[in-house]
Amino acid sequence: MSKQPQKNKNFVPSRRSFLQGGLTAAGGAAVAAIGGGAALAAGTPDPAITELKDWNQYSGPGVDAAPYGVPSPFEAHVVRRDVPWLTADPISSINFTPLHELDGIITPNGLCFERHHSGVAEVDPAEHRLMINGLVDKPLVFTMQDLMRFPRENRVYFLECAANSGMEWRGAQLNGCQFTHGMLHNVMYTGVRLRTLLEEAGVKPAGKWILAEGADASGMGRSIPIEKALDDCLVAFKMNGEALRPEQGYPVRLCVPGWEGNMWVKWLRRIEVGDKPWQLREETSKYTDLMPDGRARRFTWAMDVKSVITNPSPQAPITHGRGHTIITGVAWSGHGKIKRVDVSIDGGRNWQHARIDGPSLSRSLHRFYYEFNWDGSPLYLQSRAIDEQGYVQPTKDALRAARGDNSIYHNNGIQTWYLKSNGEAENVEVS
Amino acid sequence: MSKFLKFTASIVLLGAAWATNANAQDADAGEKVFRKCAACHAVGEGAKNKVGPELNEIFGRVAGSLEDFKYSKAMTKAGEEGLVWDHDSLTEYLAKPRDYVKGTKMAFAGLKKDDEIANVIAYLATFSESAEQAAAESESAPAAAPVETASAAEPAVNAADAVIPEHGVYHLGREALPEEIAAWDIDVRPDGVGLPVGSGTVADGGVLYDENCAVCHGVFGEGEGRWPVLSGGFDTLTADRPVKTIGSYWPFASTIFDYVHRAMPFGNARSLSADQTYAITAYLLYLNDIVTEEDFELSNETFSEISLPNEENFYPDDRLEEANFATNVEPCMENCGDGPAEIVMRARILDVTPDGDEENGAGGID
Ligand code: HEC
Ligand code: HEC
Repeated sequence: MSKQPQKNKNFVPSRRSFLQGGLTAAGGAAVAAIGGGAALAAGTPDPAITELKDWNQYSGPGVDAAPYGVPSPFEAHVVRRDVPWLTADPISSINFTPLHELDGIITPNGLCFERHHSGVAEVDPAEHRLMINGLVDKPLVFTMQDLMRFPRENRVYFLECAANSGMEWRGAQLNGCQFTHGMLHNVMYTGVRLRTLLEEAGVKPAGKWILAEGADASGMGRSIPIEKALDDCLVAFKMNGEALRPEQGYPVRLCVPGWEGNMWVKWLRRIEVGDKPWQLREETSKYTDLMPDGRARRFTWAMDVKSVITNPSPQAPITHGRGHTIITGVAWSGHGKIKRVDVSIDGGRNWQHARIDGPSLSRSLHRFYYEFNWDGSPLYLQSRAIDEQGYVQPTKDALRAARGDNSIYHNNGIQTWYLKSNGEAENVEVS
Repeated sequence: MSKFLKFTASIVLLGAAWATNANAQDADAGEKVFRKCAACHAVGEGAKNKVGPELNEIFGRVAGSLEDFKYSKAMTKAGEEGLVWDHDSLTEYLAKPRDYVKGTKMAFAGLKKDDEIANVIAYLATFSESAEQAAAESESAPAAAPVETASAAEPAVNAADAVIPEHGVYHLGREALPEEIAAWDIDVRPDGVGLPVGSGTVADGGVLYDENCAVCHGVFGEGEGRWPVLSGGFDTLTADRPVKTIGSYWPFASTIFDYVHRAMPFGNARSLSADQTYAITAYLLYLNDIVTEEDFELSNETFSEISLPNEENFYPDDRLEEANFATNVEPCMENCGDGPAEIVMRARILDVTPDGDEENGAGGID
């Protein structure tokens, strides 16, 4: 059987590895995988063609060699990565989606970033229940089987952690879009509208808020206004067609489209209806935005319009030299669809419209491309998204002017990659 | 004929696999139990000391003998008096750590189930050479029955016999019983709704805190290593590096009770009674100078007397008022900004990324 892709245990982001760029740490693997053969002298026949390859001669493994398929061993570097020093312990920690290795709009299930507050709960679906209680006509308990008998919907939504790019509030810090923007994934969910379940129990007129609570050992809980609960929230049990992954809340999670990832309670086991918010730890101590005057905004739920160039980027340098070049990236907004993405190669002095390709769905990632003829000179690459509400992605300076340096959450500022003549890219900020 | 042969062969193979897995299954179950320990202990290749010592080669280790770990006096003494970790001593220690080694600083109540203890020990044995050998010689523990997993479907009831409830639109689910709601609905709001009946004093809370919380959060709530800081940080919210604690930042005392009751101690959530949680909450208020008397008693009745100093400094999201949110503004497309763009910050210069896992003062993920 073929070698399984494995997490590169040696890759610990540190000053050194960031400095030497993804080139050595991650890009090297990519170069080896796809760049081979580029340096042939003209006129020399390519052994990739002239030599008989094993795979061309001998049969490969039969069906069922991997009953649950895995990626090619040549893609072994495409993994989630963490930054160990960010948190005290991997049980309450985070890892990041390798955005620079993906294309299109869907994030594969095994690459969706993880954030747990007490590790991955391993929940037996046969013993999982969803309870609805509080200000309802009849408190109810559902089994997983009950849930799957309600009318289902399929929806593609992005999930972004409110702290995505949070390390960059004070200035460029982490060298790689996996680390600066990778608390993000985009998945097609299958589930039941929360509204349908609430109506089954009957919300009393005094019910203005819900509390969503998880079954894990952190007992994760968030208050959500009833308008949102009755609008587009989804109680989901499938992601990209298969059962949720344990680390994404198996067997059932809440989707709160367009709003910060922490509210998308995993291992969802209880919905309580009440007349006031609960003010639990994740909406007071955390996920409140400290402003320069020392006061703090609370209930900052929506994720604002944002985009990032994923290729090239520090972990994905350009290895082909000058000539026809593709810049690509993703754009998204918690306020709806993306109307337009602009790309600048001179640090925001001049902008061109990028081409959006693939489905354009509300509160979902959009894929954009910008193609040009690179002359090999150094560039400052930026992207700027505009959503259907007309909100324009701001610069980081504009955000700091409004919110100071200690806000942590909701950093949707424009990212700059400094593309050098040798094809390496670096995380910078420009005037 | 050939088909039949292949069939028997695969059965024999399967049987063999199960037989040799007898020990492994035990240890597999133990790997899950070990999650209760993993907040504090690492085991396996490259395991380092965390809150507790690493547990490689624990069989045959003299208690409290790792040189690079700071044990309690009690544990060091137990080792000096001859305590060596083996199957029996581990069994007793893990059932009731504080009874077996009086004064141990392992803030863990103990494993309640015998099979959990046996399984976690079997798991630890796989990282101890001496134990592996002993196990090979002695009789193996009984294996759990292999689980049939081909189909997860439950046996069907006769469809016509299914009872259909009256409620709702789809008549799905059933009414939640009061005992069930009581078991899960433990949330507490700032107005006191949800507080259970009970009480506890600052003094009681101090004892409980030292036993259950101080290993991570520090004796004064200052936070050990990178574990969260729970006290202090007053007047730092406008500083360059704000320290957000219960005293300096949190708006409501109810959040302390709710969170500690549902999620702490880390790795052993929901193990504290209502009285214990009142006592610990009172102590955390004391560590933050919000109450000052050691005999102060926090209860469902005195709770409303408490308010936190930073409460009024929270206000609803008003982002949309920022200039950044102006709509219908056509952003500049050509010759924007003054002169060509120049680098003002780069990961290289502003890089506060430490090597490896050194202390790091930069913005965390919260
Ligand atoms: C809250 C943190 C915590 C948890 C949870 C915890 N331990 Fe410990 N453990 C410690 C500390 C701290 C020590 C050192 C005790 C001392 O010095 O008194 C320790 C000591 C030990 C020792 C003695 C090691 C030696 O070198 O002498 C063993 C064995 C042990 N723990 C096993 C376990 C197992 C197994 C579990 C899970 C069932 C567990 N512990 C859960 C913190 C913890
Ligand atoms: C094994 C280490 C450990 C122990 C023991 C522990 N905690 Fe914690 N505590 C944590 C971690 C980790 C977090 C953050 C969890 C997260 O990321 O969600 C935390 C968070 C907290 C917070 C919230 C901090 C904030 O600023 O939001 C409080 C309050 C708290 N703990 C109280 C306690 C109390 C009281 C005890 C004892 C009953 C206790 N903890 C025992 C590790 C520990």
